[in-house]
Amino acid sequence: MEEVKCYLPKTLKEALEIKAKVDVLPLAGGSDLMVSHKRTLGLTPVFEKPVMIIRNLPELKRIYLNEKGECCIGAGCTSAEIAENTLCPWHLRQAASRMGAIGLRNSATIAGNLANASPKGDTPGPLYLLDARVRLSSVRGDREVLVSDFIVKYRTIDLLPDELITQIIVPLSEDDFDYIFWHKVGTRKANAISKITLSQAIRFAPDGKTVEDFRLSATSTGSKTNRSRDVEKLLIGREITDETIESVVEGFDRIISPRAMPEFRREATRRMIRRFLSEAAKKPSSKVIDTYDGYHMTGAPVPRGEENG
Amino acid sequence: MVVGDISRAIRRVDAVSKCKGTVKYVSDYSFGDCLWGRLVRSSIPRGRILAIHLPPMPDGYRFVTYKDLPEGGHNYLHMIATDWKCFAENEVRYVGETIGIMVGPDKDTVENLRQQIKIDYEEQTPAVTIDEGLACKGGAFVNDDNIHCRLSLKVGDVDEAFRKAAKVVTETIETGFQEHIYLETNGACCIPEDDHYVIYASSQCPFYISKSISPLLNLTPDKVVVRHTTTGGAFGGKEHFPDVVCGPLLVAAYVMKKGVKMIFDREEDIENSVKRHPSKVTFKTALDKDGNILGMDSVVCYNVGGYLSSSFVVLQRGCFHVTGCYSFPSIRSVGLGVATNTFPSCAFRGFGAPQTIFAVETHLCHIAEMLGIDPLEYKSRYFIKQGDTTSTNGKIVERVMIPEMLEQVKKASDYDRKSKAYKWGSGRGIGISFYNHGGAFTGNGEQAIIKARCQLHKFANGDVEILCSQTEMGQGFHTILPKIAAYVLGIPIEKVIFRNPDTSRVPDSGPTAASRSTMIVGELVERAANLMKPRYDKEEDFTVETHYEHPEGYPWDQNTFQGYAYLGYGWGVCAVEVEVDPCTAEITTKGIWSSHDCGHPIDEKIVHGQVNGGVLQGLGWGSTEVMQNTDGHFKQTSMSDYIIPTSMDFPKQGVYLVDNPYPWGPFGAKGMGELVFNGSAAAYIDAVSRAIGKRINRIPLPTEEVMNYMLHGTDLRSEIEEVR
Repeated sequence: MEEVKCYLPKTLKEALEIKAKVDVLPLAGGSDLMVSHKRTLGLTPVFEKPVMIIRNLPELKRIYLNEKGECCIGAGCTSAEIAENTLCPWHLRQAASRMGAIGLRNSATIAGNLANASPKGDTPGPLYLLDARVRLSSVRGDREVLVSDFIVKYRTIDLLPDELITQIIVPLSEDDFDYIFWHKVGTRKANAISKITLSQAIRFAPDGKTVEDFRLSATSTGSKTNRSRDVEKLLIGREITDETIESVVEGFDRIISPRAMPEFRREATRRMIRRFLSEAAKKPSSKVIDTYDGYHMTGAPVPRGEENG
Repeated sequence: MVVGDISRAIRRVDAVSKCKGTVKYVSDYSFGDCLWGRLVRSSIPRGRILAIHLPPMPDGYRFVTYKDLPEGGHNYLHMIATDWKCFAENEVRYVGETIGIMVGPDKDTVENLRQQIKIDYEEQTPAVTIDEGLACKGGAFVNDDNIHCRLSLKVGDVDEAFRKAAKVVTETIETGFQEHIYLETNGACCIPEDDHYVIYASSQCPFYISKSISPLLNLTPDKVVVRHTTTGGAFGGKEHFPDVVCGPLLVAAYVMKKGVKMIFDREEDIENSVKRHPSKVTFKTALDKDGNILGMDSVVCYNVGGYLSSSFVVLQRGCFHVTGCYSFPSIRSVGLGVATNTFPSCAFRGFGAPQTIFAVETHLCHIAEMLGIDPLEYKSRYFIKQGDTTSTNGKIVERVMIPEMLEQVKKASDYDRKSKAYKWGSGRGIGISFYNHGGAFTGNGEQAIIKARCQLHKFANGDVEILCSQTEMGQGFHTILPKIAAYVLGIPIEKVIFRNPDTSRVPDSGPTAASRSTMIVGELVERAANLMKPRYDKEEDFTVETHYEHPEGYPWDQNTFQGYAYLGYGWGVCAVEVEVDPCTAEITTKGIWSSHDCGHPIDEKIVHGQVNGGVLQGLGWGSTEVMQNTDGHFKQTSMSDYIIPTSMDFPKQGVYLVDNPYPWGPFGAKGMGELVFNGSAAAYIDAVSRAIGKRINRIPLPTEEVMNYMLHGTDLRSEIEEVR
């Protein structure tokens, strides 16, 4: 049987010291690494370097609001922990709650999702949208970078050899917006990988018409999550009209570059942007806008079939 | 527990052990110094093997190929046809074709050695799709036209129908590959014992394995004993495919003189196992001036893959079901089994029938919609009845309860109102389908080919053992058969013993396939129990045996495919309601309602489970289960990219049955395991096409395809033109 050398630090300090000395692969939930390193039945995974298991470091498990009111999420928090914690912003909770299957959500961590830097990852979309930062720690000290800069390109992150991801800081939440939108088109309705996921948010100026802020990010539409402040600025300071909607739709269409099923991904993106903005302009009472309201029927009989127990 | 009403559900005999996890599957067995095996397979779809480069082999490790067969051994697997080789010799016809098996004591070493084996090929241009196979891309490799097998059927004068037709509509309906995704992957062990070999295998048909692989060592089948291990799902994927697993194990055990075990991991199983045949059915239908069907001509093409194996029988069943639940004045059908460089296609729940049933259901919807008629109203003009002529010029023997089943489904689904209220293209739709499945082997195959036998043995302590070759693979047969015996004998079911079969101690009662086990073997057990009953109290230790007898007066000619193909069909009606997300084209299923006629149900809970599973599996085939193969390699190779539906996708089902006792089945039961798969995809596609107002000609239909049809599809009311 192949041997895997493992480090099991008990504190963050200890983990950073190991990271400073040894070229180790940090492993928290293992939901990406154990899959990518698995071999056939009955054989243990082979890792190209020693593994440092940081799954249970207490310093990486906290979620709290800092003095600026920013949501600080420990790197080792799982999707399930984020999904059920109301301190976390709505968009992120939505994404976390629809990531994979229940078992995966109980083990996969937010830092792992970022470090994996997959264009189909669930959490980067909301984090890009809300200007989230990632805290990178080492024995030399800490630094913070925007998530959108941390993920450099496909499967590539800005992490130095002695650094660990320790925290995700999200400065904005749904409270900063009047209307919010998050919709994932998965490969199926549960336990699904994203085919296209859109996050949107909008805030109106006190006049109720001028758009004060508008944000839009898309997942699975290119080599990394797409967001463009330039495209958002096509609407900011203006009112929602057919023309401004179309300028955003066209502007965003130009920045995305889906490789597989391009027509579907572009068309669904265009339709979801139009839907969100045209509904927001109507000022509905519900803060959350989704792709459609559903079809309501009056007097529809309840199916009388035996239902499954 | 004494069995009361035969239909009333009892607790499954395997419920507790399966819930507790105490049941042993093949990977749980260990045999002392058993070796481990891993297959080495072709990595190209078509070509010649030029050289095989092996790494140095440590003691006790060996790469076993066709060259290791003994003198007189035959390098083929006998699965109806004998063209599928156990080991490739010089030619490879598909990605995944077995070239050899790497064996040795340590798993890690075996795997490392396997990865160092390098094979040089001379690559040739593969033909992967049905069209490429028909066009003989890269040159024909089977016969001179790449047609493995063909048949034709004719009822009435179809040429006359086309002469009289006011309009002729032509269209092609396509279906894709489907992977079985049984819970337990394929696996087996082969252990040499005295003068014979013992195979432990996850499988459906233990006697098939003995017959198929014994020629490899030039042995008689009795020298290859198969001990069936409890099987975690099969769906047809373990009907013939275990031969492909067990053949190399047998040769390796012969060479190494030790036991050899092999278990596939999931990716290996998805990439290197049989699939459902992709199909392409082209209809040419003659209509009179009022839109009534005068005749229907069809060409049924199935993608058979590199070897014929069992596919001719699959194609036959496909053609026999091409008229679905309908009787048309005249029909003609030509079936073609197309050779391609893909993994050979094989059995999958429905065995060829789902493809043609999907095609005819969809074609009829399209004609109705072109004419502006509700598809249900149009289809109901042609419902087949008792005494009507079938696609093989036989008659329907039994009462057909489609009208009663339709009433149940209409009432439960509110079809009539919804079908009117949901305008085509409105975003909401309800669809309905009708389907059947001929139970057991075609024609007199049960008597001519299988000759099923079954025994009941009474022990002195009053226990009764059922001896037959039927297997439990999750479907509930370990409950069904003892329930029948216990009911007839009037003894508690706990006194009936029914073990996993061992071919050295049970008679051959045929394969657990073709929806035949309850219908045919259940009847053998019922009859045996009736023979035993008067002797039960008087005698201590005795055996009774029954043989299958085909009812007189229903002739069948297997050479011309004429006559009574099936004496007992299962029948089904299914309605599905959907709505479509106008932004994303996502489909939400709002309701699923079905009614089935499986004669008189032996256990309503088990029947209910089969309905839930079969309907869901059919919906997956029709919607999310995309399995692409354009270059000879399956593109989807894991559970995260081959998308089977969850209970969130198809949440709840209304399940209805009708009671229609079948005179030759146990307590009136007929087959139903495949029936329940055959129709749900057609109902779903009908619903989706009405919701988006576009004609849908192919499945699967993942979300991006729905969007594609929304953007570019043809309007339901437009004239039907052939889609190429």
